[in-house]
Amino acid sequence: MDTKAKKALAVAVAGALSLSLAACGSSNNNNSGGDSGSSSSPSASAPASGAASSPTASAPSADSGKKVKLTFQNIYPDPNTPTYKTLHQIIDQYENDHPNITIELDTLNTDQQKLKLKTQANSKEIPDITMVNPAAQMKPFVDANLFVPLNDVLDKNGLRDTYQSGLLDYYSFNGNVYALPDGNNIEVVYYNKDLFQQAGISAPPTTFDELLADVKALKAKGIIPMAIGEKDTWTGSFIFMNILLRTNNGPGFLQDVVDGKKTFEDPAFVEAVERFQDLIQAGAFEDGATSIDVDTGRSLFTSGKAAMYMLGTWETGSIDASPIASKVSAFPFPTVDGKGDINQFMLAPGTGYAIAANSEHIEEAKDFLNYYCLNFPKVQFENKNAVGLPQKVDGDLKAAGYSDLAISIMDLFSKVSGGDISFDNTMNPAVAQAHLTGLQNMFVQKVDPAQVAKEHQTAYEANKDK
Amino acid sequence: MNVLKVSKFTIGVFVLPALIIYICIVFVPILVSFYTGTLDWNGIGESKFVGFDNFHNLLFHDKVFWPAVRRTLLYAVASMIEIPFCLFVAVLLNRYVRKGNTLVSIYFTPVILSVVIIGQLWKTIYNPASLGGMLNQALTWVGLDSWTHSWLSEPKLAIYCIFFVSLWQYFGYHLLIQFTGVQNIPSEIYEAAKIDGADGFKADRYITFPMIVPIFKISIVLAFIGSLQSFDMIWIMTGGGPGNATDVLATYMYKTSFNSQQFGYGSAIASFLVVLCLVFTVAINAVMNRIDKRFS
Repeated sequence: MDTKAKKALAVAVAGALSLSLAACGSSNNNNSGGDSGSSSSPSASAPASGAASSPTASAPSADSGKKVKLTFQNIYPDPNTPTYKTLHQIIDQYENDHPNITIELDTLNTDQQKLKLKTQANSKEIPDITMVNPAAQMKPFVDANLFVPLNDVLDKNGLRDTYQSGLLDYYSFNGNVYALPDGNNIEVVYYNKDLFQQAGISAPPTTFDELLADVKALKAKGIIPMAIGEKDTWTGSFIFMNILLRTNNGPGFLQDVVDGKKTFEDPAFVEAVERFQDLIQAGAFEDGATSIDVDTGRSLFTSGKAAMYMLGTWETGSIDASPIASKVSAFPFPTVDGKGDINQFMLAPGTGYAIAANSEHIEEAKDFLNYYCLNFPKVQFENKNAVGLPQKVDGDLKAAGYSDLAISIMDLFSKVSGGDISFDNTMNPAVAQAHLTGLQNMFVQKVDPAQVAKEHQTAYEANKDK
Repeated sequence: MNVLKVSKFTIGVFVLPALIIYICIVFVPILVSFYTGTLDWNGIGESKFVGFDNFHNLLFHDKVFWPAVRRTLLYAVASMIEIPFCLFVAVLLNRYVRKGNTLVSIYFTPVILSVVIIGQLWKTIYNPASLGGMLNQALTWVGLDSWTHSWLSEPKLAIYCIFFVSLWQYFGYHLLIQFTGVQNIPSEIYEAAKIDGADGFKADRYITFPMIVPIFKISIVLAFIGSLQSFDMIWIMTGGGPGNATDVLATYMYKTSFNSQQFGYGSAIASFLVVLCLVFTVAINAVMNRIDKRFS
C-alpha cells in the first residue's frame, strides 16, 4: 500500500477509534448509575424544589419542572421474582406522576451490592437511595454519618404506623431511624411432600434426631435431603444459628457474648457446632455444596431434586412460582436434644432502604421513599408476595388467590413468640467473616467442635473493639 | 543518546508528562498502600495509626497467611513448569507441521476467553457426577469410580484443580511466544548444522535452546509475575474456599479488605505482595541474565 493510502487509513482508523471512545463515554454515564455525582441538576435549586413540592402519596406534584435524576441501588435482579415487579411498578407510577424525576436503577445481587456499597462508601459516593442490612451491618455506615435520619419520612402520611411493632428498632441508632425495611421474615424448613412420601416419611420431624433419621431415609432413596448454596456462606450460618437458638434454650446468645456474660466456649455453642456437624456428616447436604451458590441451591429444591430447603420465608414467592409449588409445605425447625421452643424462629428483618447523606437531592429522595414505602405493601400483596412484609396490610389471602403454602406460612408467622437475628447482623464484619469461614470449612472436613468454639472466641477477642 | 543531536534537557522535558502520569498512577498508590498498611481502618469511618502492628500480626500470628503464600508460590512455580513443555510443542509445530500458525491460533483461543467463562465452564466440569460434572461422569463411565472426587470441595485437592485450569488457559499464550521465537531463528544455521551432522533434536540442543533463551526469559517472567497476582480464576471457581483452602495472597487480601472490612490489614497483605513480586522479579532477572551470558 503506498504512503498516501496508508496515511488516509491511519487517519480513518484514528477517527473511528476516537468516535467510539466518545460514544463509550456518554453511554457509560447513562448506564452505570452508580455514582450520585452523575446527576445533572445544580444543587442550588434543590432546596427550592423541595419546599415547593410536598404532594400526597399518589397525587402528581406541582414541581418546579427541573429535571432530577435519582439513583436507586437495589438487590432484585431476577425479573421472575415478585419484588422485582413491585419495584418496577411503583417506580413507573411515580415517574408518570412526576415527569421531571427519573429514577435510575443500579441492580445487583445481594453480595455484590454489599461490596459495591462499601467501595462507594470509601469514596463517599453512595447512590441517592441504597439498601443496607440491619443492626451491626449498617452500624459502620451510620457511625460515619453516611445516611440521613428518616424520621421525617416516617412522620409523613403516617408511614411509621404501618410497620410492625418493634421492627424499626433494628434500623435505629441514637433514636433515629436510618433505614426502612423491605421485609420481615422468619426461617422455616420448606419440604417437598411428594419426596417425603417416597422416602416413607409420614410427618415432618419435630426433634433433631427425627430430622437425622429422615435425612438417612431420603439418602437411601437417592434424594438429596437438604439443598444449600454454601458458596454463599450466610446460608450455612442461618441454619447453624437456628440450632444455636435451640441449644441455648432461647435467643440472646450472641448478645450475651457481646455483653460479656458468656463466651463462645459456652456448652450451648459447642453443642450447636457438634449437632451441625452431625447434620453435615449424616450427608444432609448435596455433594460439593461449598461451590454451589444460593441460586443454584434453590433450583436444586425447586426442580425436585432435594427434599428440604431451609431458608427464610422471603423464598415463598419464588417457590410458589416454581413447578413444585403445589407439593411444598413448611415446618418450623425441630427442637434439639429436647431443648428450645419450636415457636421461636430465626428472625430476618429485611434489607432496609436508606438515603445517602451527601446526595444532591435529599428532599426528592425522601419524597420518593415515602411514596415507595406507602405503596410497597399494597403492590406486593397484589403480586402475591404478602408473606414476609414488614408492614401490616389488610386483605383476605385466600380470596386474593394466595397458595396454600403462603397461607400456611402466614400461619407460622402468627405463632412466632420470639427469636434471634443472624450472626452477621449482630457481630462486626471481622468476627462474622471468621465465623462464616469456619462454618464453610465444616462442610468439607470433620472438625473438633471445641476447636471451632475456640477459634470463634479468639477471633472475637482480636476484633472486639473494632 | 546524542544520535538525535538533541540535548538531554529536551529529552527530559518530553518524557516528563508521561513520567508524571506513570508515577501518579503506579508509584503513588503503592506508597499509599504501604501507608494504609500501618492503619487500622474499616474502610468507611475513621482510621487509627497502629504502626507495624498489622505487619507483625500478619507475619507472626496469622494462620491463613503463610499457607496462602505457599500456595501463591506453588502457583508461580507450576506456571513456570509449563513453559519448557510449550517450547517443546513449539519446536514440534515448527518442524513437523506445515501451517503451524493455524494450530497455534486454535491453542490460543482459551487465552482470549474471559476468565469468568473459563471459570464457570471448568466449575461445571469439576461438579460431582450427580450434578452433571463431566470429569466424574467420564471416570465412572470408564469404570474408575474410585478416582472420582469432589474436586473443588476437597481442601487438599482444590487448589491443584484450579492450577490445572489456569495452565490450560495460558498454554496457548506461551506457545505463541515460543513459537514466534523458534520461527525467528534463521534456517541457515540449521542447514549448516545438518551438513555437520547435527539433525533433529541434536540440533535443538545446540541451536534452538541457546538462541531461544531471551524469549524463554520473557515467558518465564510473564508467567511467574502474572501468577503471583492471580485472583480472578480462584475467586470464580472457589472464592478462596472452602474455608481458606484455596486462598492465595490476592484472594486473602480481597477478603480481608472487603468482607472483613479491615482495609489496614488488607493493605499490609498488599504491601507484602508488592515486595514479594519485586524480590522475585530481581531474582529471576539475575538468574536469566546469567544463563543468557553463558549462551551468548
